[in-house]
Amino acid sequence: MSQAIQHAEIDGVPALFARHSGPMQAGLVFRVGVADETFGRAGITHLVEHLALHRHGLTDYHFNGATKAAFTHFHVQGNEQEVVAYLHSVCASLANLPMERLETEKEILRTEEAGRESSQIPLWRYGARGYGLASYPEFGVAQLRSDDLRQWVETWFTRDNAALWVAGEQPPSGLTLRLARGARRPMPAVTSALPACPAYFADGRGGMLVEAVVGDGAAARLYAGVLGRALFRDLRQDGGYSYTATAGYEPRRDGFATVTALADALPEKQDAVLGGFVDVLAALQAGRIEQADVDAVRAQADATLTASDAAVQRLPGTAELLLAGRPLRGIDEQRAELWAATATDVHAVAREAMATTLAQVPRGERLDWAGFALAPTHSSHTVQGRRFVAEGQDGGPPLIIGSEGVSLVTDDGPVTVLYRECAAKLGWPDGGRILIGHDGLSVQVEPELYGADSQAIAAIDAAVHPSSVVWLPPRQNRPRAKPAPERAAGERRGNGRQRPGRSGPAPARRTRGQTAVMLFFGVVAALWSGLALLITVFGATDPQTTTGDWIAMTVFFWLVAAALAAPPWWIVRRTRRP
Amino acid sequence: MPSAAVLPPPDFAVASAFPEHRWLQQAAQAHDWSAIRAFAEKFPRGADRTFVVTTVADVPEIEYPLREFVAANPDDLFAATLLAAREVIVGWNIRTAARASQVSREQFQTFHHHLRQAEQLLIRVTAADPAYDLAWAERLTTVRGLQLGQNEARRRYDRLTRHHPCHFTGQARLLQQLCPKWSGNWAAMHSFARECMLTAPAGALNASLVAEAHVEHWVDLKTKNERAEYLRRPDVHRELVEAADRSVLHPAFRRSYGWVTAYGAFAAMFSLIGDLPRAAVHFRALGNLASEYPWAYFDKPADAYVRYRNAALAKG
Repeated sequence: MSQAIQHAEIDGVPALFARHSGPMQAGLVFRVGVADETFGRAGITHLVEHLALHRHGLTDYHFNGATKAAFTHFHVQGNEQEVVAYLHSVCASLANLPMERLETEKEILRTEEAGRESSQIPLWRYGARGYGLASYPEFGVAQLRSDDLRQWVETWFTRDNAALWVAGEQPPSGLTLRLARGARRPMPAVTSALPACPAYFADGRGGMLVEAVVGDGAAARLYAGVLGRALFRDLRQDGGYSYTATAGYEPRRDGFATVTALADALPEKQDAVLGGFVDVLAALQAGRIEQADVDAVRAQADATLTASDAAVQRLPGTAELLLAGRPLRGIDEQRAELWAATATDVHAVAREAMATTLAQVPRGERLDWAGFALAPTHSSHTVQGRRFVAEGQDGGPPLIIGSEGVSLVTDDGPVTVLYRECAAKLGWPDGGRILIGHDGLSVQVEPELYGADSQAIAAIDAAVHPSSVVWLPPRQNRPRAKPAPERAAGERRGNGRQRPGRSGPAPARRTRGQTAVMLFFGVVAALWSGLALLITVFGATDPQTTTGDWIAMTVFFWLVAAALAAPPWWIVRRTRRP
Repeated sequence: MPSAAVLPPPDFAVASAFPEHRWLQQAAQAHDWSAIRAFAEKFPRGADRTFVVTTVADVPEIEYPLREFVAANPDDLFAATLLAAREVIVGWNIRTAARASQVSREQFQTFHHHLRQAEQLLIRVTAADPAYDLAWAERLTTVRGLQLGQNEARRRYDRLTRHHPCHFTGQARLLQQLCPKWSGNWAAMHSFARECMLTAPAGALNASLVAEAHVEHWVDLKTKNERAEYLRRPDVHRELVEAADRSVLHPAFRRSYGWVTAYGAFAAMFSLIGDLPRAAVHFRALGNLASEYPWAYFDKPADAYVRYRNAALAKG
């Protein structure tokens, strides 16, 4: 079977075709993704993708959509008619999005988001814009209107910004791609929030995550594989500190790729995982590249390139490269590059990687001892302006609202967001605000806590560009200036680079024990409530029960029900899903 | 037998037991790194040669020429290890040996700064040569000073002993790590000391770590009563006797680096327990030699040494 990819054009859309037996597969790819969005519109690409696929509903064939950092994919597998019908339908939907579904799809996106754990790495590397937006919730979804979506489609989902790939026995007949004219969009700008590398930040629980950005190529792919093998050998096989110890490779399609390495850890073995990980990275950087590892990774990569479905497997990536304006290379060329790469080349990539390395360690851990710089959690300067002191005990650091921006003056240094570098302003109807700078640092302004008047808040609102504003729904627990125990979290709030949730910092993750308690009491409380309901309803009409007894029994049963429901209620409120 | 009264006072100079100590320090002062390297390379494979590094690292202000040399010769693993060991000493001199509560914030910051310098040099060295005993042994000190954790210390120890089983200095350093003062616990410390004894060849120094473990435990007890009670325990005495028999009193025993400390630990413990005949054996072996450990744990170390020796030799 031919390994070649044939090029064609359908209605102005570049098309890639590879011969393939079995069901036809196809994908329509657009050069748009999360990194093209702004905070106020975050989630708009995903929402368009959902709306474009809605008309398909339940089908016998397999289809899917995926919104990535810089690309959006519509993928289908089925017989020729099904594939053609799907692609026609996607194009038709893009031309005329089913806006009657808008609010429902927004809810679906919210549900999808609740089950997703976004990586913190992009935010710390890129800041709160461009590729960094992948770390944040889809804040813009709630306030998006149909006009915003139409405008987004006109800008990004055009025939000049699209590519098609098809794998099948022959190119599909009768396929048309009716997409509006537009322009090919350049790749998203690469921003940086890291003044020095290797860097680290401390957040989350166990294990260690390390990411580096290196030039895309065969040696870099080999490096990722060699790193994964070295981690597995040292941390799992030899040390027994980790269960998962692996590395992956993901081209960004702009000539660079991210290498992500991960080792998990039992809490009590955490220190050894950090130490072992540091030593694995250091060994590769020092040039201790095992030839056997290079050979094994190369053989695996070559097997992928020479597999019977190699061309098919490469189609989606080739479509991305085409949209990114990168050179497309055939399999022979890629194999030649793969076999030409040596351990010395892998060593060079290891050194390149160290200069862009960003590591995530669990909260409370450090990596400065190994020469990793702490990624910035504070700003270099403080704005001039009106100073507000939090009322009550432990109310948090003083706040300054100035004409240039806002600053929190913490014991460890200032946290400043300048209006001209403000990526987002999240606002609650009660006056609470979170300002997030391009660097990812955020300042939370709580008028009640700081005794800030409406004038001060209005000054902030007037200074931030409207496109950065995100309005959040009313919240139940807003911070107040009285000594409430919940304010113990005050020192963390709005300070540093936590990813802001929809209502302040994320609560602690639920433990297994808490989940068990929650489920047990939840079930018992539900059964008991059923009983209480029966007594409430039938006790009143039961001739053998006096009204006084009925009231006493009803009150008793409901009190017990409330007591049983209290533990799960508490756990649900104070923790988040594991 | 010389009577106690005419014995000379204790001699704490390392060079008195190991004359090469003086020569090594002079070579360091002359910046003759290649002579020091040649000396270190003459040791048989697997031997504990940490002595060379600690001797050079003890030379005041030697960090300045070493920093220059390492900057000019970044691939010289031996020089980088010497510098790292010196940075550790510089840092620890600033920290002092006081309990953490007695050390100021500024002292800790400078201490950690030097230890991080050392650690980063050593990461590079062990990355380039994962079998490099001298660097792994130093990393067992940095791991403790930087408080990187018990598992990490054990991981480093495992890396060291993978190529150098029963590395005496490595074991002594991990023993310190296992003390409660460094977030360890007594059970783990004693069991490790015993493991060192049982896995070492007969007559090796390693079993003397059992005595060090008892010294550490005893010195950490707060009240007179607790200490007295500890010394009365028959299992403590029994373990000391066994450890001495397997190490310094074994026919295969040879006076390798650390032997003065080993005799000293046994002499001190048997003296404290009141087993004066046994204490006398160890004091006789020492002559008038002494090492900082364990005597630095006593008020006026030289006086304590003389007092216990006199008592032991009078009865023993």
